Amino acid sequence: MADQTFRLPDLGEGLTEAQLVAWRVEEGARVEVNAPLCDVETAKAVVVIPSPWAGTIQKLHARPGESVAVGEALVTIAAAEGAPAEATPGTLVGYGPGAPESGIRRRARMPVATAETSIDVRAAPFVRQLAKDKGVDLAQVAGTGPGGRITRSDVEAAAATPATTAAATVPSNGGERRISVVGIRKAIARQMVRSVSTIPQFTEFAVFDATNLMAAREKRKASGRPMTPLPYFIEALVKAVRAYPMMNSSWDDARDEIVVKEPIHLGIAVNTSQGLLVPVLRDASTLDLDAIAAQSAQLIEGARAGTLPPSQMSGGTITITNVGASGPVETGTPIINPPECCVVAFGAIKPRPMVVDGQVVARSGAWISISVDHRIVDGAMATEFLTALVAELEKISA
Amino acid sequence: MAKAINLSLRDALTRDENVLIFGEDVGALGGVFRITDGLQKAFGEERVFDTPLAESTIIGVAVGLALRGFRPVPEIQFDGFIYPAFEQIVSHVAKYRNRSGISLPITIRVPFGGNIGAVEHHSESPEAYFAHTAGLKVVTPSTPGDAYALLQAAIDDPDPVIFFEPKARYYLKEEIDPTARVPLGKARVAHEGSSVSVIAYGPTVSIALQAAKTAAAEQISIEVIDLRSLSPLDMDTVMASVRKTHRAVVVHEAPVFCGFGAEVAARISHDGFDLLEAPVTRVGGLNVPYPPARYEKLYLPDADRILQAADAVLAYG
Amino acid sequence: MADVVRVVATDDPVRALFSPAGELTAEARSRLGLDAAALRELYRNMVLIRRADQEALNLQRQGELGLWGQYLGQEAIHVGAMTALRTDDWVFPSYREFGMAMVRGVDPADMLTLFRGLSHGPWDPHKYHFAPLAIPVATQVPHAVGFAMGCRLKRSEEVVLSTFGDGATSEGDWHEAMNFAGVFKAPVVFLCQNNYWAISVPLSKQTAGSIADRAHGYGFPGIRIDGNDVLGVFAAVRAAAARARQGDGPYLIEAVTYRMGAHTSSDDPTRYRLDSELQAWNARDPIARYRGWLEQQGIIDDGVVAAIADAAESAAQAMRARLISLPAPPAGEAIFGRVYSNPPASFLQEREEFEASLEGD
Repeated sequence: MADQTFRLPDLGEGLTEAQLVAWRVEEGARVEVNAPLCDVETAKAVVVIPSPWAGTIQKLHARPGESVAVGEALVTIAAAEGAPAEATPGTLVGYGPGAPESGIRRRARMPVATAETSIDVRAAPFVRQLAKDKGVDLAQVAGTGPGGRITRSDVEAAAATPATTAAATVPSNGGERRISVVGIRKAIARQMVRSVSTIPQFTEFAVFDATNLMAAREKRKASGRPMTPLPYFIEALVKAVRAYPMMNSSWDDARDEIVVKEPIHLGIAVNTSQGLLVPVLRDASTLDLDAIAAQSAQLIEGARAGTLPPSQMSGGTITITNVGASGPVETGTPIINPPECCVVAFGAIKPRPMVVDGQVVARSGAWISISVDHRIVDGAMATEFLTALVAELEKISA
Repeated sequence: MAKAINLSLRDALTRDENVLIFGEDVGALGGVFRITDGLQKAFGEERVFDTPLAESTIIGVAVGLALRGFRPVPEIQFDGFIYPAFEQIVSHVAKYRNRSGISLPITIRVPFGGNIGAVEHHSESPEAYFAHTAGLKVVTPSTPGDAYALLQAAIDDPDPVIFFEPKARYYLKEEIDPTARVPLGKARVAHEGSSVSVIAYGPTVSIALQAAKTAAAEQISIEVIDLRSLSPLDMDTVMASVRKTHRAVVVHEAPVFCGFGAEVAARISHDGFDLLEAPVTRVGGLNVPYPPARYEKLYLPDADRILQAADAVLAYG
Repeated sequence: MADVVRVVATDDPVRALFSPAGELTAEARSRLGLDAAALRELYRNMVLIRRADQEALNLQRQGELGLWGQYLGQEAIHVGAMTALRTDDWVFPSYREFGMAMVRGVDPADMLTLFRGLSHGPWDPHKYHFAPLAIPVATQVPHAVGFAMGCRLKRSEEVVLSTFGDGATSEGDWHEAMNFAGVFKAPVVFLCQNNYWAISVPLSKQTAGSIADRAHGYGFPGIRIDGNDVLGVFAAVRAAAARARQGDGPYLIEAVTYRMGAHTSSDDPTRYRLDSELQAWNARDPIARYRGWLEQQGIIDDGVVAAIADAAESAAQAMRARLISLPAPPAGEAIFGRVYSNPPASFLQEREEFEASLEGD
C-alpha cells in the first residue's frame, strides 16, 4: 500500500486556488475510487471532488475555510493494490497557471558567443565584418560616407599597404596643389581637432639631468645589452604616474565624471611612413625594464611595418612622445591624445650648460614637456607630477 | 493572365475528375472577371457551379467536399469579401489536418490588390493574415505564365492553398508555356542586378521592373526578385541576391505596418546581418484603410517610390 | 444541381409518425420493427454513455482532464440518432457529442485525450465516419452540407447527420448552410439538440421564433419532437435519413431536451438557473423513462438492469485505467507532425531546431 498525495487540480481552466468548504471523509476512512472527498469553492463554482484512488485516508492537508493553491497537497491516501500508475505523471493535475510542468522542457539557457560592438563608430554590419576580416581598426579609419560613415571602400583603402596617406595628388591648377586627404591623415586630423577643441590643455616644461641615466646606459652597453633611452623614460614615467594617478584618467563629459584608470596602458607615438601611429604598451606598470624595452621595440617595429592588430593600436591611458631625436629642436607643446589626460614629450639627450655648485658645466640633459587636461588637473598638481618625473629620471642608478 | 488562369482551370478539370469549381457567378456568367468563362458549358453544372451568396459557407462546403474526396477550387469574388470566410479558413481549412490527420486539397482563388479605381472593399491586400496562419500555403503569380503554372501546382498540392490573383494584372499579356512547371515555395529572379535587391510579389513585380529599367539608365543596377510564394517563403533566392547587392528593398501594396514585408525584412536582417550595407527598407501602403479611388495612386507604391527607396539605401555609402 | 428546389410539403414521412405535439404516435411506436434485443441495446447504450460521462466529470475533478462538457440528459438523442443511421453515414458533431462517438465505436479513452492536452483530434474520421470535434459554434454545419453535396455528386447512398445545439441556430454559418442544403438538395439530416441552454443564455433569449419552422424558409421540412424519447428520436432520424437517401433532400429535426449538467466543468449553472427547473427535467429523465417503458413491455427486469449497470461500471473503470496509461506523444510529433501533408523545407528545419532545443534525447 503506497501513500499517494492528491494535489488540488485546476478545476476551471486557469484557476489558481480554491477554498476548502467541507470534508466529506475523515482520516482513517476507507474510500473507493470516485467517493466524494470534499467540497471546494473556486472563483467559478462550488465543486465536489471525488477520490482518484481507492484506499485509506492518511492525512487531510487543509482545514475548512482555508485556501488551497492549485498544485498544493489536498489529501494523502494509502492507495490499495492495483492503483493504476500514471503514464504521464503531472500532465494535468494542477494544470493551472502555477502548475508544475508537463515533463518536457526546453534546454536551459546556454552562453552565446559575444559579438563585438564598437558603438562610437558609424559603419554598416557588412563594413564592420570586412574591417574585422582585414584587421582594420575602424576607430582609425576616417569615414568618407554621408555624415562621416565608414564605407566599404574606406575599409579597403585602410587595409591597402602604406602610401595611402597624402596619396593621390590632383594635377596642379594655377599654382595650387591639392592633396586628397584619406585614411590615416584624415584620422589624425580628426583626433587633433577633437583634442584641441574639447580639452582645455596647458603645457609645463622642465629639464632633467641625464647624467645618471647615461651612466646606466653605458654600463649596459658595456655588458652587451644596449638600451635606448626610451625604456628608461617609460619606467620613470610609470613610477611618477603611480604617485599621481590623476594623470592616468579621462574626463567623462556626459556624466560629469573623471574616470581614473588603474592599469597604465602607455601609448608610444611612432612616426611611420603612413603617418603618426600610437601603438599601446599594455600594463606598463607590471613590466620590468627589460620587458619594457623588448615590448616597446616590438610595438615600434610593428607600427612601422603596419602589422599590428587593432587591439594593440587602441586602449591607451597616457601617451609618451619624442620631440626630435637629435638636432637643434629641444622641446615642444604636445597635444593630448583624447580621451586621455596627459601627454609627455621628451626632447633629445645632449650636453647642456648647467649650473653646479655655482659653476657652469656641460652635463647630459633633456627637456620634458607635459600637456595636461585642465578640467582634471590644475597647475599645482602638474608641477608636482613633473617634478616627480624629473626626480625619478635623475635617480636612475646604474 | 485571365486567359492563362482560365486555361489552367480548364486543364485541371480535364486532368482530374474530382476538381470542382464553385463560387458566386462562376457558372453561367463565367466570373465577374471572366476567369471561369466557358468552363461550366464545357464541363457541366456538376463540375462548375454557382453558389448562394455566402462566403463562409462557400469555404465551409469546400471542407466537406474535400473530406468526401473532391479537390475543390472555390472562388472568393473579391479580396474584401474573404473576411466572412476568415473563420472557416483559419479555424478549419488551415487546421483540419492538424486536428484529424486528413489533408484538405482545397485551392481558394481570390483576386486581390488595387489600382483599378474601385469602390471600397475591392482593392484589399489581405495576404499577410493568411501567410501568418500555419497550415495554409499562400502564393501569388505576377505573370500569365506563372499564373498558369502556380495554379496547377496549387491544385495538385495536397495541402490547402490560397491563390491570390493580382486583379490589376488580369489583362497583362504574354506567351505562356503550359508545360512549364513552377513549384510552390520557389521565388524567381525577375531581373538581374548588382546594387540593390528589390523584393516584390503579385502586382508590385511589374512596378519594380519599371523602376529597374529607369535605374539602369542612371547606372544603378537593381535586381528584382518575384517571391511568387509567401508561404512557404524562399529565403534562399532572396539571400543569394542580398549576398550580391548588400542592400534590400521590399515592396507590396498592403500597408507597410505589420505587412508581409516585415517578415522578409526581419529574415534578411537576421540571416544576412553581416551582409548589409544599409538597413532593409519597405515600400508599401500607408497605415490607413484603402483610400477612395481618386487617391489610390498616392497610397500605392509606384516606380518613383521604389527608386526613392533604392536611392536611400544607396546613400548609406 | 443549380436548380432552385421549391418544397411541396405533401410527402413528409417524418411528420406522419408524430403527433402535433412532437410525440411518437402509439402506432408508429409499435411499428418500429425493433426486436427485444435491439430495444435492450438502446437502453444499454444510454446507460453506458451516461456512466462514461459521469466518469469523465470525475476525472476532470481529479485533475486528469482539464475540462469536460457533460451530455447528461441528452442520451436519448445520442443513442437514438446513431442507432437510426447506417455505419457509413457520416456524422458532423459539435463539441458535446461524445456519446454519439462512443456508439460509433470510438474508444472513450482515446476521445478523452482531447481534454488531457494531448491531441486536438484523437480519432480517425475516415475510420468511424465521424468528423472531428468542432468548437467554433455552427462552423461544422457547412462542412456537413459540403460532404452531403459530395455524396450527391458521387451518386452514393450515404447521408450526413449534422448535429448542433440551439445556440448554433443563431450563427450565420448555420443559416448559410441550411440555405445551401436546400438549394443543392443535399442529403443531410439536420439534428438540433435543443437542450434549452447556451451556456447561461436560455432559449427565450436565443431566438424569438421556432427553430423547426426555419426549415421551411430554406425550402425543406422541419419538425420539433420530444428529444428525451429514444424511440421518437430513432424514428425521426431513420425516416429523415431514408428520405434523404432516396434523393428528397434535407430535413431539420429539432429534438427538445435539457442540459442536465453544466455547460462545462468550468461553469456554475446555479448562477443562472433554478433548481426547480432542473428537478422538473429530472422527472423526465430519458433513461428512467425508457427503462419504465421496457419494464412495462416485459423486455427487461431488475437482473438485466443490474447487469447493465455493472457492465457500465466496469467500462468506466477500464476507460479510466486506459486513459491514465496513455503516453503523451513526443513534443516534435505532437506540435509539427500533422500540419502539412507536403511540408516545406523551412518547416522541417524549424522542427529540427525545435527538437534540438529540447532536453534529453
